[in-house]
Amino acid sequence: MKVNLLFLILLFFMFLSCTKSKTDYEAEIDQEVPVYSEFEEAAVLQTESHKISVEALNGTFYKGYNDIRLKVYDKISNEKVKGAVVSFTPIRIGENEQLSSCPHLQEMVYNSGDDFLEGYVVFTERSDDNGKWAFEINLTVDGTISKARQDVIVREQQNKNLNMTSFLGRDEREYIIALIAPQSPKVGENTLVAGIYSQENYEIEQEYGEATFPIYQEAQGYTLRLDPRMPEPSMGNHSSPNNQDLTQKEDGTYEGRVNYTMTGNWTLNFIMLNEQGKVLKGTVVPDDFTPGVEGKKSELHLDVLF
Amino acid sequence: MKTINTFLGLVVLGVLHTHAQEVGIKRDSIRNIEKVEITAKAKRKIETDLKMAVSVDEFLASSDNISFIKRGAYAWEPLLNNMAIERSTITIDGMHIFGACTDKMDPVTSYVETNNLSTIEITSGQEGSMHGATVAGSIDMKRKSTPFALDKQWSGVYESGFEFNNKQFFNLGSLSYSGAKFVADGSVSFRNAGNYSDGKNNEVRHSQYNKFNTSMGLAYKIDDLSSVRVDAIYDKAKDVGFPALPMDLWLSRAIITSAAYKRLFEEGLLKVWDTKFYFNAIEHYMDDTKRPENLVHMDMPGWSTTYGLLSQVNLKKGNYSSELQLNMYENVSIAEMTMYPQDREKKTMFAYTWPWVTTRFTGVSMKNAWDASTNSRFNFGGSLGWNYNRSKYIEFNWIFHPGASQQKDRMLPSLFAGYELNIDQFDFSIGGGYGHRAPSVSEGYGYYIYNSFDRYDYIGNPDLKNEVSYEMNAGVGYKTDRAGIGAKVNYFHIENYIVGQILSLGSPMNYQSVGVKGYTSLRYARLFNLALNANYDLLQNLHWKGTLTYARSTDDKGGNLPFIRPLSYQTSLHFMYGRFSAQTSVNGDFSQENYSPEYGEDLTPAYTLWNVSAGYMFSFRGYKAMLQVGAENLFNEYYSTYADWGSIPRMGRNIFTSMKLSF
Repeated sequence: MKVNLLFLILLFFMFLSCTKSKTDYEAEIDQEVPVYSEFEEAAVLQTESHKISVEALNGTFYKGYNDIRLKVYDKISNEKVKGAVVSFTPIRIGENEQLSSCPHLQEMVYNSGDDFLEGYVVFTERSDDNGKWAFEINLTVDGTISKARQDVIVREQQNKNLNMTSFLGRDEREYIIALIAPQSPKVGENTLVAGIYSQENYEIEQEYGEATFPIYQEAQGYTLRLDPRMPEPSMGNHSSPNNQDLTQKEDGTYEGRVNYTMTGNWTLNFIMLNEQGKVLKGTVVPDDFTPGVEGKKSELHLDVLF
Repeated sequence: MKTINTFLGLVVLGVLHTHAQEVGIKRDSIRNIEKVEITAKAKRKIETDLKMAVSVDEFLASSDNISFIKRGAYAWEPLLNNMAIERSTITIDGMHIFGACTDKMDPVTSYVETNNLSTIEITSGQEGSMHGATVAGSIDMKRKSTPFALDKQWSGVYESGFEFNNKQFFNLGSLSYSGAKFVADGSVSFRNAGNYSDGKNNEVRHSQYNKFNTSMGLAYKIDDLSSVRVDAIYDKAKDVGFPALPMDLWLSRAIITSAAYKRLFEEGLLKVWDTKFYFNAIEHYMDDTKRPENLVHMDMPGWSTTYGLLSQVNLKKGNYSSELQLNMYENVSIAEMTMYPQDREKKTMFAYTWPWVTTRFTGVSMKNAWDASTNSRFNFGGSLGWNYNRSKYIEFNWIFHPGASQQKDRMLPSLFAGYELNIDQFDFSIGGGYGHRAPSVSEGYGYYIYNSFDRYDYIGNPDLKNEVSYEMNAGVGYKTDRAGIGAKVNYFHIENYIVGQILSLGSPMNYQSVGVKGYTSLRYARLFNLALNANYDLLQNLHWKGTLTYARSTDDKGGNLPFIRPLSYQTSLHFMYGRFSAQTSVNGDFSQENYSPEYGEDLTPAYTLWNVSAGYMFSFRGYKAMLQVGAENLFNEYYSTYADWGSIPRMGRNIFTSMKLSF
């Protein structure tokens, strides 16, 4: 009986307890940052005999870095074609029909495990009134070459963690830095992956019909010095320890390590150095603790939020 | 010693019970009950010499071993042997409770009230390891529990009072019923206080508090030798100011419950078996909205939930007695920090300051007393505990300690031995101890916990080594009918002493802070405490008492450690005549010469306080009444002590009145 009474008392207090609910930490991050993990068809290109399905995460192309997967089908049998070779070019048709391209993998790589061709494209702009995007593909099946072209829609990237920036380096070349991973950072240590692409000299140009335009290549042997900060004035130029600069991996992308001490707005301040260690872009951010003042940023930086 | 007294009391209770059974004569039993009551009265009451109606903190402050870090007028952090709360075990009837505030705004002692406690047992050093691993010792708050009576009895106490300095108004009431089969204890208390004024009559803003506490205990006698008891305490503090901190307390609540089974044994070695399950939950919400100087608004809620089991047996044979105890508990401590940007449209910033830290502890402990002869006694014992920690969101800890273990097991051994000898009017005691303790949740897993004293953000390290204490203590006393003098010393050599040291990594997160400190282990630290006591009965009704305490502590490089009490003194005269009593006391600290600038301390000058009080006792219609009026800090001295956080000034002259009615 007494135990029952205690139980009732307990129950009573349980009802009272916990005035403020605890933060659902995991859910909060997911809410802020949409995470896409499924590849869905985002575009279809047709040649006379084949259909090429282009897949992207969430079935959408976004400004910035996009992994893409291609599947080639025979139009008659509707079966996947083995041994297809695809050369891929994204083209932006700007005002006055001005043509340009963006960083991408020209020759698609066959992934035998999952039976598709894979590559990437880094869209420098979204589709809007000033310009639209198209894919052009050269397909080689059993020695027969065919071409296909298709307009595609590129949308704004809502996830700031996949931000990109383009700038002119001190070597007078155009560069693009695009964040590749993590899509959804967490507090603590994150492996930070980015692509650095440089516009090649105008001598090396890609032909497209009658027009030519410069192409981008992965920058080789560069270093991206990393200094993450919270720019919010109340954070007083807060930084984090144990970060690692980004260096190039075998697959051509750049990898480093970033520690986020809390959720919120962060700025990744970069200094880009070439193979010889010469600074091509970026400035040092002061270490001063400046509460109440918006944090200073490097001339080369990307803002992220999670 | 007190523990032993209690223990003997229990044994007496057991033995008498046995006796009553055998004889079965009602008259005998009545006599027995009277004796039990006498044992209970031997315990120290919750009041100080000066003041009849005190807070738990004021009561603790009257002990030689206890000093306080004060962040305001409420929830003082008790330092035992000049060591912070991580180094002592603070329990309620042996139950473990852990505060839910990362800034130590809620030590366990803030969740009880004087009218639901019967006494507070303070045990120094490893002798206090019965309830869990410790370095400094243990503070065990004993709840009131009325014994079973043969006739139905009601008793009650009502206390009320007003203190003029901070307009504190308090009302405490308690009621007990005891019968042959059933006992009930209940208490309710309210305390409301405004801001206090310092010795220059300036109001110290944000020093108000409001506390409500209620408790209930029900016991049922199953048969002559066994009983069950359930207890609950509910405590709520709201709108409590902490003038020394950049924020206040909006609300903190605690529910502390237990269900116990107790059995006495008539024959054999085993005398008493007492088992208790307990549960307590604490929630603590800070509030910085009343501080316009704050640049950022932050929410910093904390939660601490503990489940536990405590089982103990008392053994006695001849001149040997022993107490064995099993302790198990699991605690989950969670503390969050959400910062709001100045542009509220923008995303808030979030981090865990305690990333869901689970602590599990299982330990067995033993305490033995062997009366080698009529005037000498050996005390010895020890414990072995297993301490397990797990941080759910270890990624927070990995930022400063990449690859630190998410789970950590520690073995915590403890040993102690002592010898007491009594020759004529002299008492001698000597003892030693050895023990480990595990880092606290903050020391192990704390993340950017802002310390407004040295203005650093603190980072825990999950892989800190156990703190290992080697301890020696000795005492000597001389007593005559009219006078007594005694000295007690203890010395601790603590290896892997955990303190915060400046990290070259990282940058502060809290905008007031100047840098980041990480909890690290010093090779060792040394701590010495000395207390001298003397008393003399000048006349039959005029008594003098004096105390002098001194402590010194250094780290492995000979530097001073913080919060070490300088030479301090207290002397008092107590006069009683019939129903009238009067008391005056002078206490103070000498200047703190051995301060520690490294930990944000500066030289605290000496101060002296003079207090007086007078009381009158009378009875009417079966009620006993006691009236008291007095003044603390009579000369309105402006001072702050070495342990006042941020050197906030203490209360100036405070006139207090109180009355107590009991039946």
